[in-house]
Amino acid sequence: MKREVPLFITFITGILIIIALFIPHKPFGQLQTTFNDWLIIVGGFTMILGLDSLLLHNWEKIKRKKEGWLSAAFLIASFFITLFWGFGEGIFFHRNPFDASATFLRYFYTYIFVPLQSTMFSLLAFFIASAAYRAFRAKDPNSTLLLSAAALVMLGRVPGGQAVAPWIFAFVLLLLAYYFFNESKKTSGTQQTVYIILAIITLILIYPVFYILLHYLNGIADWIMNIPQMAAKRGIWIGISLGGIAMSLRIIFGIEKTYLR
Amino acid sequence: MREFLEKAGNIDRRIIYLIIFLAVATTILVKARFKSSPLPEVQRSYKIINDLPSGSVVMFSIDYDASSMPELDPMLRAMLRHCFKKNLKVIMLGHWPLGLPLGQLALDDIAREYHKKYGTDYVFLGYRPGLQAVMLNLGKEIRSVFATDYKGTPLDSLPLMRNVHNYNDIAILVGLEAGSVGDAWVQFANARFNQKIILGSTAVITPDLYPYLQAGQIVGLIGGLRGASDYETLVEHPAMASLGMASQTVVHVLIILLILLGNIGYFATRRKK
Repeated sequence: MKREVPLFITFITGILIIIALFIPHKPFGQLQTTFNDWLIIVGGFTMILGLDSLLLHNWEKIKRKKEGWLSAAFLIASFFITLFWGFGEGIFFHRNPFDASATFLRYFYTYIFVPLQSTMFSLLAFFIASAAYRAFRAKDPNSTLLLSAAALVMLGRVPGGQAVAPWIFAFVLLLLAYYFFNESKKTSGTQQTVYIILAIITLILIYPVFYILLHYLNGIADWIMNIPQMAAKRGIWIGISLGGIAMSLRIIFGIEKTYLR
Repeated sequence: MREFLEKAGNIDRRIIYLIIFLAVATTILVKARFKSSPLPEVQRSYKIINDLPSGSVVMFSIDYDASSMPELDPMLRAMLRHCFKKNLKVIMLGHWPLGLPLGQLALDDIAREYHKKYGTDYVFLGYRPGLQAVMLNLGKEIRSVFATDYKGTPLDSLPLMRNVHNYNDIAILVGLEAGSVGDAWVQFANARFNQKIILGSTAVITPDLYPYLQAGQIVGLIGGLRGASDYETLVEHPAMASLGMASQTVVHVLIILLILLGNIGYFATRRKK
């Protein structure tokens, strides 16, 4: 019975919501509004549930002196300071804690919470730079293509990128030509000829690449974003949506029961 | 030479952090600015708001918090400036409760700048849990979700709200997104109620939103700091985004150079192996 009742509620609710979508008239249309109201009310209560688990989990950590118990203590202290400060603002000063004149908004939110959260996120800039330097390697044709596309978009989407990009790509081509010439010295026969031809082609490419990037980099970056990027994104989205529909049907018809655990 | 190339592929991460820090700090301190022509999708967004008749209602949804503030706050401020300059009415709500005060602070600041009156020219509704349910109910009657504004004032006592009941009364919905709320706006406000939407987003999620723009499900897209900077240029009020754009340019070039250096080092080491 413990499993059957929730499964029955899920089935009835799911079916009624689908019917309400296709028949938005009484009584089904009204039903959807009622369900939405319930969802908003239940959503409010989930916050209480979330707070309960957060506080209990961290309190357990402090009680048992588990690793990171000091951070847990800070979390609980911050929670109650925020709570009492917010309520205090209303009870003692009769003003909304988010009013422009409220000390909660001015001091706690603006000068503590916002800088802390911004600082945490801004660290990402350093990690991304370091990770890009270490991980972005032209190991094979696929990664080289990804690398080139990323470089073109990164430079094509910033002002001044169009002036810098031709020089960077010309330098890369020059390095590549040098590499081919160097390889040709170590080989002989047909292989040597192939390396020399490759080096010459690379050198010849420098001017057209320089010219194209100098004049059309922004357009190339837009094209990458609007055509190949979008095609890949659509494919991913269609896959996710089909998966979502399949999972919803499995839940409605009681095939997927893991959410009951 | 080979030793130098090998070292190029193995720079200490602390040196990289220092280089990035100096690049960002210097460009901000010297207030460097680079000029760029606004992206077509940003121009389109600007034009749509610019063409709205005076008195039209624009609804802003604050779906970000302090972590995305450098990109989205300047965007919000530039768009609010545009709305108030054009005498448009602004309603603000949001689905990220921790970020909503940022929207409120920006709204109060810009409204003060343009001598706009609360209740008549702009209203701040606040937050209600339920995301999709809130979006769907807004399409039927705003009062069924927000009976009062954030101060507890009944909506009918605010002159601006008297004739605003659902999406039919809102000319444009502007969603400022750092997550997936923008997808929900498209699915529930556009697909169900045909609401015109402009999305402003962080650079990370902008590629996710391009398909909506191409399919006509959103009418405009303002992506990342570049989008915010473009909008500031269009409203002729360069501010934080234009300043940040110079740092971003320098850092992008630096990252490309670092990747290049890393690859040179990688090939030098690989040949040796």
